[in-house]
Amino acid sequence: MMSTATNSSAAAAAAAPLEISGLSITVQVDGESRPLLDKVSLSVAKGEIVGLVGESGSGKSVTSRSALGLFPGHAITTGSVVVDGVEVIGASAAQLLELRRTRASMIFQDPRSSVNPVRRLGDFLTEGLRARGVGRAEANRTAIGLLEEVGIRDPARAMRRFPHEFSGGMLQRIVIAGALSIGPRLVLADEATTALDVTTQAEVVALLKRLQAESGTGMLFVTHDLELAAALCDRIVVMYAGRVVETGAASAIFAEPQHPYTVGLLGSNPRLTGERATLTPIVGRPLALAEAPAGCAFRDRCPIAVPACATEVPALRPSRATEVACIMPGDEKAA
Amino acid sequence: MIFRLIGSRLLAAIVTMGVAAVVIYGSLRLIPGDPVSAITAGTRLTSEQRAALREKLGLNQGFVSGFTHWLGSVLQLDFGQSMVYGSSVNDLLAARMPTTVTLVLYAAALSLVLGLGMALVSATRPGIIDRIGLVVTSLSIATPSFVVALVLLGVFAVQLRMFPATGSGDGFGDMVYHLTLPAIALMVATFGLVARIMRATFREELVSEHVEVARSRGVARMDILRRHVVRNSVGPMMTITALLLAALFIGTAIVETAFGVDGIGQLLVVSIARRDFPVVQAISLLSVGLFVVTSTIADLALPFVDARVRAVGGLR
Ligand SMILES: Nc1ncnc2c1ncn2[C@@H]1O[C@H](COP(=O)(O)OP(=O)(O)OP(=O)(O)O)[C@@H](O)[C@H]1O
Ligand SMILES: [Mg+2]
Repeated sequence: MMSTATNSSAAAAAAAPLEISGLSITVQVDGESRPLLDKVSLSVAKGEIVGLVGESGSGKSVTSRSALGLFPGHAITTGSVVVDGVEVIGASAAQLLELRRTRASMIFQDPRSSVNPVRRLGDFLTEGLRARGVGRAEANRTAIGLLEEVGIRDPARAMRRFPHEFSGGMLQRIVIAGALSIGPRLVLADEATTALDVTTQAEVVALLKRLQAESGTGMLFVTHDLELAAALCDRIVVMYAGRVVETGAASAIFAEPQHPYTVGLLGSNPRLTGERATLTPIVGRPLALAEAPAGCAFRDRCPIAVPACATEVPALRPSRATEVACIMPGDEKAA
Repeated sequence: MIFRLIGSRLLAAIVTMGVAAVVIYGSLRLIPGDPVSAITAGTRLTSEQRAALREKLGLNQGFVSGFTHWLGSVLQLDFGQSMVYGSSVNDLLAARMPTTVTLVLYAAALSLVLGLGMALVSATRPGIIDRIGLVVTSLSIATPSFVVALVLLGVFAVQLRMFPATGSGDGFGDMVYHLTLPAIALMVATFGLVARIMRATFREELVSEHVEVARSRGVARMDILRRHVVRNSVGPMMTITALLLAALFIGTAIVETAFGVDGIGQLLVVSIARRDFPVVQAISLLSVGLFVVTSTIADLALPFVDARVRAVGGLR
C-alpha cells in the first residue's frame, strides 16, 4: 500500500495532469444500454489550458467528470483515464478520495448551488484541505491567502460570511479559490463562467488564466463557446455526440477549422471581433451518442455530407494544422 | 428584518391562542339546551345547587362578559375547581404533569431516534432497504396507538412479564420503567411519519449540487452526511419535532388510559366522560398552548440554523 503510493507520486512528477485514452462509457437505462462516450482521447499537459468544446449533450461533462472518477451510475467504462499518474478507472474508493483531495479539483457551472447555503464560506473554502487532514488554523490561513488572490476584499471577514451575501461573480471567485486550495495538478472547469454575465465572465476568465499561469497547473476548460475557448486555451478538443471530432492548437482551430461541425460552431457564435457579423447556425438539433446514426454522427446536419459518410465512423487523422474525424476535411468551400 | 419575523410569529401565536380560547370556552355554551342539565345528567341536584353551578360556570352572563370573566381567570392561570374531584384544576394538573411530561419526552426521543435513523438509512440506500423502510413506515403511520398498546400489553406485560401492565411508578427510575411500554406504543405510532418526511428532505439534499461538489473534493461520506445532508435538514427537523411533541401530548389520552398511567391524558379522558368542564377546558388550552409554543420556538429558531432566513426576514 505504502510502496504503491510512493511509486505513483514518483511517477507523478513526470506524468501529465490528465491523459484520457480510448474512454468509452455505456450506461444502463431501464435495462437498455445507452452509450455516452465512444473512444474519447485527450490530454492536458502541465501548465496547459485545453478547451473541451461542443453543443449540449455532446458528452463534455461526462468526459471531464471522469477525471475525478465521477462516473454515471451503473456505467460500464473502458479505456484509461490517468490523472497525475494515477489510473482512475478501476481505482479503489481510497485512491479516488486521495485523487480528489490532492491532485484534481473541479469548478462547476453555478456557484450559487455549488456552495452549501447554510454554512459559512470559510467552511466551504477549507473543506478540501480539512478532508485531507490539514489543521483548521493552517487551512484558514491558506483560504484567506487565496481569497486575497482572487480579489475578495477583507478576506478574514468574508470567511465568516454566507454565500447569499455575495454576487454570482464574487461567489464564483470564491469557488475558484476553493478549487485551488488543495494545490491541484489539474483543474476541471465545467462551464465555470457560463452562468455569469458578459463583463463578469471576462473578469473571471482572466482570473482563471492568471491563477493557472502562476501555479502552472493543467486545466481542462469545458465550454460550448468555441470563441471563448479559442481566446483562452492553448489547445482545443471539439466533441460531437460523445466523440472527439477535431483537435488541435487553438489558433489553428480558430483560423482553419477542418471539421464542418467546428466550422458550424464558429459560424453559430455572434462574432465580436470579426467584420462579418452574419450568423449561420448549424441546422438541426444536436444529437447524443445514443441517437447517432451509423457512420459519422454529424452527417444529418452536415452541409457537405456524401453517401460515403454513412459507411463508418471516421477516425481522427491529421489534416493541415489539426487532427480531424472527417472524410472530407476542410472541404466546405468546395460544396 | 429579524425583528419583523419575531413580531409576526408572536402575533400569530397570540391570535391562535385567542381563537382556541374562544372555541374552548364556546364549546360549553354550545351544548344544546341547558348546559347544566347536560353536564349533570344522571345526578340529582337541588335548585340551589343548580343555580350555584350556573353562577360558577358564568352561564348567567352573556357570552362576551362570561368569556372575558373566564379569560381573566385563565390569564392568571386560574382554571377553577374540578366539578368531580372538588380540588383545584391546577392541583390536579400539577400532580400529573411530571408523569405526562416524562412520557411525552421519552416517546419523542424514541420516535426521533428511530425516525431520523430510518430516514437517513432509507435516503442513502435506495433499493431493497429503502423499499422495506417504506413498508415499515406505512405500517407505523396506519397503526393506531391503542392497537399497539394492546399488542405490547399482551406480549411484554402479560406473556413475558418484562414490564408492568399498569401504574406509573414511584420515583424517577421506576417511573421511566413503568412508562417504557406506553412510550414505545406512542413511538410506534409516530416514528413512521418522522421517517417519511425526513427521508424526503435528506434525499433532496443528497442530490443537491453542493453535495456533488463535496463528493468531488473527496470529502468523506460521513462528513458529507453530517455537514451537508443532516446539517441542511435541521430546519425541517425542528418543525417536525415541534409537531411531534404536540401530537404526542394528545396521544397520551389513549396510551395513558390503555396502560393505566395516572397522567394528564388519562385525566382528560375521565373528565370528558364525567363532563368535568373546567378540567377539560384547562387540558384543551394546555394542548393548544403546547402546540403554539413549540411551533413558534421552531420558527424563531430557524434564522439561527439558516442564514438566508435571517437575511430576508421571512420563510424561504
Ligand atoms: N447519469 C447519466 N445517465 C444517463 N445518461 C446520462 C447521464 N449523464 C449524462 N448522460 C447523457 O450523456 C450525454 C452527454 O451528457 P453531458 O452532460 O456530458 O453533455 P454536455 O456536453 O456536458 O452538455 P451540456 O452542454 O448540456 O452540459 C447526454 O445525452 C446525457 O443525457
Ligand atoms: Mg455539461
